[in-house]
Amino acid sequence: MGSDGAGWVGKGLARKEDNRLLRGRGKFIDDIRLHDMLYLKFVRSPYAHARVTSLDTAAAEALPGVICTLTGAEIAHQTNPFIEIGPDPFARIAELVQVDYESLEVVVDGEEALKASVLLHEEAGTNRVWRGTFEYGDIEKAFREAAHIVRIDKMHFHRFSSTPLENNAVIGQWDAKDEHIYYWCNNSFPSFAMQFIAAHLGTPIDRIRVQTFDIGGSFGIKITSYPQMSVCALASKKAGGRPVKWIETRSEHNVSSAHGNERTFRDTRVALDKDGVIMAIDSRHIDDCGAYPRYEPLGCVIWAQVFPGVYRFRNARIDFSQAVTNKCPVGPNRGYSRMQHLWFLERVVDICAHQLGIPPDEMRLRNYIRPEEFPYTTPNGCVYDSGNYPKMLQVAKERIDWEDWKKKQAMARAEGRWLGIGIGTTLDSGTNNFGQSQIVNPHAPFSGNSQGANCKLDIYGEVVVAVGSCPQGQGHETTAAQVVADVLNIHPDMVTVRTGFDTERNVHTGASGTYASQFAVSGLSAVHGAARKLKSEMKQLAAFLLKTGEENLEFGMGQQGPQIRAKDTGSSVNYWQLANVVNVNSAVLPEELYELTLNCRYVWRAPFKVPDKEKKYGSLTLTYASQLHIAVVEIDRDTFIPHILEYVAVDDCGKVINPPIVEGQVYGATAHGIGAALMERCVYDAVGNMLTATFSDYTPITAVNIPNVRYAHMETPSPHSYNGAKGMGEGGAAPIHTISAALQDALFSSGIVVSDSFNNADTLYRAMVAKDIYQAGDLVKMEKRA
Amino acid sequence: MYPRAFSYHRASSLKDAATLLSQLGEGAKLLAGGQSLIPLMKLRFANPVHLVDLNFISGTSYIREQDGAFRFGPLTRHAEIEKSASVARVPILHDCAAGIADVQVRNRGTIGGSLAEADPSGDWATVLLTLSCEVRCAVQSSDRTLKLTEFLKDAFTTALAPDELVSEVIVKVPPENSGGAYIAFKRTAPVYPTASAAVQLTVEGDRCKDITIALGCVGLLPIRAREGEAALRGQQITPKLIASAADAARAAADPQSDMRGSADYKRQLVGALVKRATEAALRRARGQQVEVSHIYA
Ligand SMILES: Cc1cc2nc3c(=O)[nH]c(=O)nc-3n(C[C@H](O)[C@H](O)[C@H](O)COP(=O)(O)OP(=O)(O)OC[C@H]3O[C@@H](n4cnc5c(N)ncnc54)[C@H](O)[C@@H]3O)c2cc1C
Repeated sequence: MGSDGAGWVGKGLARKEDNRLLRGRGKFIDDIRLHDMLYLKFVRSPYAHARVTSLDTAAAEALPGVICTLTGAEIAHQTNPFIEIGPDPFARIAELVQVDYESLEVVVDGEEALKASVLLHEEAGTNRVWRGTFEYGDIEKAFREAAHIVRIDKMHFHRFSSTPLENNAVIGQWDAKDEHIYYWCNNSFPSFAMQFIAAHLGTPIDRIRVQTFDIGGSFGIKITSYPQMSVCALASKKAGGRPVKWIETRSEHNVSSAHGNERTFRDTRVALDKDGVIMAIDSRHIDDCGAYPRYEPLGCVIWAQVFPGVYRFRNARIDFSQAVTNKCPVGPNRGYSRMQHLWFLERVVDICAHQLGIPPDEMRLRNYIRPEEFPYTTPNGCVYDSGNYPKMLQVAKERIDWEDWKKKQAMARAEGRWLGIGIGTTLDSGTNNFGQSQIVNPHAPFSGNSQGANCKLDIYGEVVVAVGSCPQGQGHETTAAQVVADVLNIHPDMVTVRTGFDTERNVHTGASGTYASQFAVSGLSAVHGAARKLKSEMKQLAAFLLKTGEENLEFGMGQQGPQIRAKDTGSSVNYWQLANVVNVNSAVLPEELYELTLNCRYVWRAPFKVPDKEKKYGSLTLTYASQLHIAVVEIDRDTFIPHILEYVAVDDCGKVINPPIVEGQVYGATAHGIGAALMERCVYDAVGNMLTATFSDYTPITAVNIPNVRYAHMETPSPHSYNGAKGMGEGGAAPIHTISAALQDALFSSGIVVSDSFNNADTLYRAMVAKDIYQAGDLVKMEKRA
Repeated sequence: MYPRAFSYHRASSLKDAATLLSQLGEGAKLLAGGQSLIPLMKLRFANPVHLVDLNFISGTSYIREQDGAFRFGPLTRHAEIEKSASVARVPILHDCAAGIADVQVRNRGTIGGSLAEADPSGDWATVLLTLSCEVRCAVQSSDRTLKLTEFLKDAFTTALAPDELVSEVIVKVPPENSGGAYIAFKRTAPVYPTASAAVQLTVEGDRCKDITIALGCVGLLPIRAREGEAALRGQQITPKLIASAADAARAAADPQSDMRGSADYKRQLVGALVKRATEAALRRARGQQVEVSHIYA
């Protein structure tokens, strides 16, 4: 970091944004009320799959207060067919609209969809969105040489969602007066959404202004480019340019925003040597993306960022397909597409360990990538920057008092109690290479990754930094201020951070937004670059004003606030003086300093190449944070309710910028994952009704359900970022593997193999009493070679 | 979603409310705590044309102890019952009030509204079935008192006439040597139970003199597990007898599969809850202080 470093980075500075957010003074979309604003309401199909046969909006338009209706046909007429109009709720209209439907056959299961006679999108001719084989190494040789072969018939990762406190919200205005489309919204990847909206509406992108403000959670759900954004603009146009607000209701959010990917793992074969070291994995994966690909089919490749997980095996083949079904479309969801795959790998490791009689901790140590192997190139060309998985396991074991729990477990088992200890190891890959999209679509014009920031001295000399992210609680205001404060050697309170997106701040790139665990790397690198650029301009200017050499200058605080001082004479200039000569007193400047603006934009780019599309090989992500969780779970023998008795979460995200922020992310992600493992799932009946459309049925996790989580952290700095940091925050899946592992550990001796990621009392009752699921004898076959 | 349009009437007395009900006809609904009605209106499952608000009538939210019975006003909130020191002497009532949903719901929701709603998942009816409970019902000019079992007709159906309202809930205080407990399994606090069991048990020496067992959320109405009661009544209670009472309760349950659990699982669960509630009730009947709480996922 050179001359930077007042040491704010790494400190547990209280969050700058908390004063506003915790006192209920945040500014959210529904706080914004514009003159003449109208409200938009969508009419939803009561069927999961149907054709609209007739439609009459007359009664709705006659209702007092209704300004206009907008039908699917009108939308199609005014837009470029960029967005697929599927069975989901695109063509929706106001309330009294009379619609006749012809209901069609429904498919709610991904595997069924691939076989089904009914097509969801007739023009596509298939329900398969994409298929690709990811094959590396020599599979057949590994299976020939294996000492053990374990086969697992079927495993399933369930569909669940994130439940941000604030639903999707948009105000759109198509203003003919200045030929602009204005958006006030809570989309968390606006620069991506704009690229689609501009093309869809046939508008120059510079004519679209998007602003975001405080956002009440996203967890990935809000990064999808929702068609509702376009509809708001079109409705505004029809209503004569009046702003149109759409606030998604909770039930709309639950049935039609975006759920996480559901995935089925079929015909898995694992080759192991005599010590339980995995030599090869061969498997067929079917991803269910719901009604139509929207952010998808990106999920078909995102999982490959963590292709081997934390393990050393070099030979593997995954035959990956994605199918459409008559369910809510999926979208990125904390741990997007990777958690499904990591869960699969963790199940494979645990099932093999139990089959071979190797303790699960020992099994992991034999298979983990070793600390001395970093940076580690995976079979598919990803480069794991740093990590120390055996040490994480050791730290977690110490934190939970592993030996003691082993003793307690033995005693409990002697009493006939069902007590299990489970380990889950997770990777949180951050800062993605958009080039991976070309593996699924060779024509996608996306690759690399970038983020922009602007750092300036405003006319009065205030330090203001703007960055193209739109945080939803991740503390960007604080961490960006810490970085700038270190560069200029001032206090973070003296740095104003403009968060939230605004196209007219002109800092964004096409990849700007908040997603994919990357702010600590892409966002802070951009902020750092911009701050250093500013610092260098300030130096040139100060050298001129103080009539000295740049090497004689010192940044710091003086009696008049932030200043630059000549070390020898002690004379100084403050920031106001610097800003003054550049902005309003420029006749004092010599011509050679006319280039200085004190308004410095910097774009950081991730050093990626386009991956090899044929071989599906290349670096897909820049940093790899890791999590290791251990859970002790007891299943009550009478009620079958699983209770978490002890829980530890160890996190390693490289150099930590602000420890309490990281710790908060770990707790949040852990709660999210425990909810997913034990309580939260999206269930559909055979005709596609969502049975968990309200919170009473979906039951998002609450405080009474969360165990006391012990937290520990480790730092293996990343060589891939300027500051050693790694992106983090998506370790949301860790508890899912961990709890599956603990349940299996508790019940394996009863012949149970946990083959689904969702487990509640009912599931365990079925496994143990009705015995219609999870029977090891039906699911797992083991072949032992000489 | 948002409710359909309705007109709003503020009743000045219970009598006024009953008059409004008879004048406004079938499209009118009373509004008590609104914790059942308003969610239903938001989802447009209930679409009243008129709302008659009871909340501004004074003297309708009380707990009085009189002639060996508690008298609850129709608008007595769950939270008041939860905090009442006199009610704490009948622990099963406290278990019930304290375990309903969360603070917000308990601060608004009322015992009268809960009984009138007759939601098969509501807690009050299940608990009050184990005690001697009567419901006073009033029309404009008269009133009548019904036994709880006469009042509850079916799921979401009571004996109330369209212009009749609940004016008081009367619960007899059980004898000194009696104790009760109410335990539910709830996935989270603000959702209804998957299943629940209420047990009120009176001891005499080392025997169970009398016992009532009621099961919640496993039928269209709360169910009395009479065979389970018979297994324990007059007996010296042993774990084995409790287990057979639990099995009898399982047989009495008539659950349906839904997102809270499969029918088979709920049957298993309700027996386990009967077991726990019986053990706690027995200790309380013997004068021990026992903290009871619902089980959460
Ligand atoms: C999130 C949530 C979770 C909940 N969880 C639980 C739970 O776990 N257990 C539980 O038992 N309950 C639960 N409830 C319901 C709560 O207890 C309600 O308060 C109760 O069911 C109804 O009471 P109320 O006063 O709110 O009635 P309201 O909702 O105002 O009215 C309910 C019905 O009764 C009628 N009514 C009201 N008062 C009278 C009267 N005096 N005479 C005649 N008719 C009347 C109304 O017209 C209406 O039809 C929950 C509610 C919510 C919102």
